[in-house]
Amino acid sequence: MASHLPDSVRLAASDCLTPLGDTAATLAALLRGERALQARPVLGREGGDRVPLALLPGRELDETVPPAWMDAVRALLAAAPPAPWGDARHPVFVTSSNFGVGSLYAYRRGGDAAHLAYGAPFVCVDGLRRELGWGDNVTIFSHACVSAHLGLMQAARLVRAELAERALVFSFDFLSPFVAGGFHALKILNADFPAPYAERPTGSIGLGDGAAFAVLTRDVGELAIAAQSLHNEMFHFTANRPDGAGFAACLAPLVAAARGCRLWIKGHGTGTLNAGRLEATTIARIFPQAPLVGWKGSLGHTLGSCGLVELALVAAALRGGRAPGTIGSAAPMMADNVALAPFATTGYDAVLCASNAFGGAHAALLLRHA
Amino acid sequence: MLERYIQAIRTDDPGLEEPAATRERLKGGFAPGGVRRMTQLGLLVGAAVGELAPTEDDTVVHASAFGETRTLAGFLDSFPTASPTLFQTSVHPSSVQQVLIGRQRSVREFFPLAGGPYLAGQALLVAFMAKTPRVLVCGGEERGTWMTECGVASPRTFAFALALTAEPGTGALGRLTFSPTDRTGGLSLAEWFDLLHSRQPFAGPVAPGWQLKLEWS
Repeated sequence: MASHLPDSVRLAASDCLTPLGDTAATLAALLRGERALQARPVLGREGGDRVPLALLPGRELDETVPPAWMDAVRALLAAAPPAPWGDARHPVFVTSSNFGVGSLYAYRRGGDAAHLAYGAPFVCVDGLRRELGWGDNVTIFSHACVSAHLGLMQAARLVRAELAERALVFSFDFLSPFVAGGFHALKILNADFPAPYAERPTGSIGLGDGAAFAVLTRDVGELAIAAQSLHNEMFHFTANRPDGAGFAACLAPLVAAARGCRLWIKGHGTGTLNAGRLEATTIARIFPQAPLVGWKGSLGHTLGSCGLVELALVAAALRGGRAPGTIGSAAPMMADNVALAPFATTGYDAVLCASNAFGGAHAALLLRHA
Repeated sequence: MLERYIQAIRTDDPGLEEPAATRERLKGGFAPGGVRRMTQLGLLVGAAVGELAPTEDDTVVHASAFGETRTLAGFLDSFPTASPTLFQTSVHPSSVQQVLIGRQRSVREFFPLAGGPYLAGQALLVAFMAKTPRVLVCGGEERGTWMTECGVASPRTFAFALALTAEPGTGALGRLTFSPTDRTGGLSLAEWFDLLHSRQPFAGPVAPGWQLKLEWS
């Protein structure tokens, strides 16, 4: 079946893995308002302040050899449609913020050289490639918390240009003292649990394990990625332009694609105050009728994989007819259109999915019924 | 067949130069307040990209297998009192961000890649698929210390940047063509850098399914 949406690609399959389970289990838990985040020592076995972290069941923050997340990744990808992934016509895009840096941390702190087999991005991904039986055609994007969107964009371009039959985008980020310690040093990972888009005296985030995949095609699947957009402010490493121009610049190309759509928005919403306020108010100004939700108050921020984890949940919410609200938050909110409670998606025909990252990086896509 | 023209190129092969010497050599190209915190890779890539005068309308493609190796090592060694500054600059791909933030130069599309034996070809394929009239392809590595000894960092320091366009214009320095192939083979980032630095032609497979022809005017 040919797409009636010009320049769109289809989302043929997607799934995710969070501490709450696979996509179906995670969506169900979010609809019940469950929170995966738990207060844990920021440096794992070395202790430190207790901060909100969401780890896969049974996984510790400190890395093991082989990494404890490997079995979970293998199980997740077993659900991907079979294809000669990694050959010339079936490219794989692996996106992450951390890759195996937790292993590098474990080596440096403990001295076990076996960790080094996962210590650099390419080495880690190549181990994954061999483990999963993929061919060599594996491209790695690493752009902090918008990484997944870059994989989706390059995959879509190759599929659209008929340079690929299908493309597999895979993203994974598993926490370690390295990343928890880093965000704790920036003071935004603290003792408070995140409350995305809520007005409160101080901001805070949580961090979560996450992995996901999406398969893009030209003509299979009832959902289409109708438009994609990127923008990089390059204003400050950890702050956005105070006028919100970066958020607006990223959304601008999607306005035309969303025209006439009944839209809801899955925002980035980590729980920081300035970025949250800029995001919520910019979205409310550009899309005043669209409810805005964020799920990192439950799942934590799954970093480079958040765009793909949350895309799988959005797709399932569209199919299932209900979207979770903004868990962990309570009024007063930064904008009137933040939806705190679950709502029916049957009255909507498109979702805008947004992610942001260090350096004022922004990414967004429009997912709609094909 | 995909085709792009090289309109400008910068390369830097500093050999065993230490970061402090790189900083001293290149500091004139950066804002005085910011250069102190820049990484060696940030200085090298930043100087190369900066000379190509990036604009909002350019796509920037960045390739580095290992990124800010020395900062990453420093951040690891800062535990248990993790350094916020080293955390920020150790995050891939901070080298381009260091220079563009310093210049307050936004860009719409920025694609940072990591990778191994096919990294150069994969970065070029991203450049070939970009929609903007001009694409800046840049990258490099910085030589590590203990991480190099452990095989998780580059043994070499180098950086490059080139400006590509779809149209030849009047002064193109070279031409890149990409076409499908069944031949296997790759082109690492260091091998790609050596071709650029010495202006050597190339023809052969560079990434799974793709071969590259590099010709100089």
